[in-house]
Amino acid sequence: MRHEVVWMAVTETSQQSPSATTVELQDVRRTYHLGEPVHALDGVSISLPAGSFTAVMGPSGSGKSTLMNMVGCLDTPDEGDVTVAGQDVTVLSGNERAKLRGTELGFIFQQFNLMPRLTAAENVTMPLVFHNDLDDGRRQRAETLLERVGLGDRLDHTPPELSGGQRQRVAIARALVNEPSLVLADEPTGNLDTDTGAEIMELFEQLHEAGRTILMVTHERHIAEHADRIIHLVDGQIEEIEQVGGER
Amino acid sequence: MKLTESFRISWRAITGHKLRSSLTTLGIIIGVGAVIVFMVLGGAFEANIAQDIREGNDEPGMWVNTQQESSGFGGSQILTNPIYTESDVAALESIDGVDFVAPEANKRAIQLRHGDQQQTGQFNIQATDPQRLDGDLSAGELFEADDEIVLPADAADIVDGGLAVGDEVQINYDGGPTKTFTVVGIVEESPGGGNNRIPTAGYISLDNYGTTVETPDGDTEKAYASMIVAAESTDTLDETQAAVLDYLKTDSDAAQLKGDDQVIKAQTVDDAVDQIGDIIDQFTFLIGGIAAISLVVGSIGIANIMIVSVTERTREIGIMKAIGARKRDIIQLFIVEALILGVIGAIIGVAVGLGIGYLGATGIGWPMVYPVDWIAIAVVIGMTVGVLSGLYPAWRGARVDPIEALRHE
Ligand SMILES: Nc1ncnc2c1ncn2[C@@H]1O[C@H](COP(=O)(O)OP(=O)(O)OP(=O)(O)O)[C@@H](O)[C@H]1O
Ligand SMILES: [Mg+2]
Repeated sequence: MRHEVVWMAVTETSQQSPSATTVELQDVRRTYHLGEPVHALDGVSISLPAGSFTAVMGPSGSGKSTLMNMVGCLDTPDEGDVTVAGQDVTVLSGNERAKLRGTELGFIFQQFNLMPRLTAAENVTMPLVFHNDLDDGRRQRAETLLERVGLGDRLDHTPPELSGGQRQRVAIARALVNEPSLVLADEPTGNLDTDTGAEIMELFEQLHEAGRTILMVTHERHIAEHADRIIHLVDGQIEEIEQVGGER
Repeated sequence: MKLTESFRISWRAITGHKLRSSLTTLGIIIGVGAVIVFMVLGGAFEANIAQDIREGNDEPGMWVNTQQESSGFGGSQILTNPIYTESDVAALESIDGVDFVAPEANKRAIQLRHGDQQQTGQFNIQATDPQRLDGDLSAGELFEADDEIVLPADAADIVDGGLAVGDEVQINYDGGPTKTFTVVGIVEESPGGGNNRIPTAGYISLDNYGTTVETPDGDTEKAYASMIVAAESTDTLDETQAAVLDYLKTDSDAAQLKGDDQVIKAQTVDDAVDQIGDIIDQFTFLIGGIAAISLVVGSIGIANIMIVSVTERTREIGIMKAIGARKRDIIQLFIVEALILGVIGAIIGVAVGLGIGYLGATGIGWPMVYPVDWIAIAVVIGMTVGVLSGLYPAWRGARVDPIEALRHE
């Protein structure tokens, strides 16, 4: 827990009251029509309170990624309501959703998804480039965040020059640079070995302690157990919501 | 998204694919380069001719002639009708600012002979007022009698050892008699006027010329097809030119003797330079325009390679959109990229064009000119071509669906 102290300092700006809800899904349906209609989400209702850490598990094809896309404002439901950071996503235009993603959400992906030709620091500041006109202090901010994920000496390395675990750390720093209300992670440890995955989960724990709201998809139970609760999805429906204590 | 940001990111994309970027700009480099080469060569050719004209004509004055109005390409035709009468010459000489008037009459010769040496070809023998050669003489004196001749230096060189003052030269007129002249003087530079397309091989007295016309008043007078009007000063040349033209177009015999579709011109050296410049410009633009077509090919090249690059970078576009990029941000990135490629291509094209143009012009012996306007135009065209060819790829990029883009590996 060596980064903990500084970490808190950066992230404590997210001071929603514990009762506030960051994300609210109401009877959300999403159907793909390729021959037979596939109900990727079939009446899903969940709410993510501010500061909560929620894991999503389920078999392949159960709709986990579709759910993440919904919450991440990349997709809109065929039916039902999605509210993110107080905004009704279903009525927003494409550009408004882009803005919401850029200002309220932080994304962490299984494949890291960094810009290959930009340096670590430039990757971290990327979300600010689109929705923040001030460039003062951006570099400083990237440095602080990269130091906190243990990459203070890799600021000017490009992704191909970094290991998988290091890339994921850069992605985590990027997801935090805009002070998001919600951090979304789709299998953040899926491409990492067990030890590196554990290190990444340590960072997630710190985020959670600092009051971030987190939604994470995973296949692995021991990863999911870092969360407060686990949502089990099967065939686009919530089968069970399991409360776990978290490992703290 | 701020423009500076997109320049930074687009620049990375360009330098990240150096080979592809170079190939993309190649079309623009060739197109802009070709245009600049032609503009340099056209300009150098023009400057060279202007230099030649000015060198032989350092005295203020104008060349009066008659031209057929023509709307055709390549300028109007200079006529040989004798319409400027002795009375017109006298009247012009009395105009303020006019120093003297030297009528000229050109006779075509086909052979010059000195002893047993001869030179055959097309030559002009010009009967004129000796005054206009005053000051140009490098040896001997001006002609007085009708069998005396003054030779330009290059004509004197047509026999071995060169013709000198005192030598005799036989001139065989086209379709006419042969006459023997004594060389009395040599002029270093041809004093201009006359028909530039055929070299002037000698200047002789107007006594050799006898063409007459009937004047509007019913008299019979000698008349000439053209003349040199020497002015007293360069400073007042414009006013003198206006006065000369005013007289010639209104009160002169020439005004009545000329045909309806013929125009009287009084051309100063500057006018002549401008006129030749206009003709050369027309050709230069024509050829330059053809070269510019290669820019269209260049723009298709940019568009083509950028479409490939959009496809290749679908995932990157998806990432950017996922983390907040709007359509217009993506469009901006691609257009800026195309713009940078266009400008770089144009700048390299200008450099290459100037280089080749310089080698060409100096190789031929023309003065080097820098077509400043065209350099600016070329850069603007490069930018425009870049932006236009970036539009469609940018639009394609903006439509990328981030979910799809991130799903595919
Ligand atoms: N673009 C699409 N077109 C058609 N069907 C789709 C599309 N995207 C997802 N689906 C279908 O929707 C269902 C849910 O897909 P989703 O990607 O959400 O599953 P997942 O739970 O993330 O699976 P995995 O664990 O393999 O990533 C699947 O049956 C899938 O085939
Ligand atoms: Mg998935």
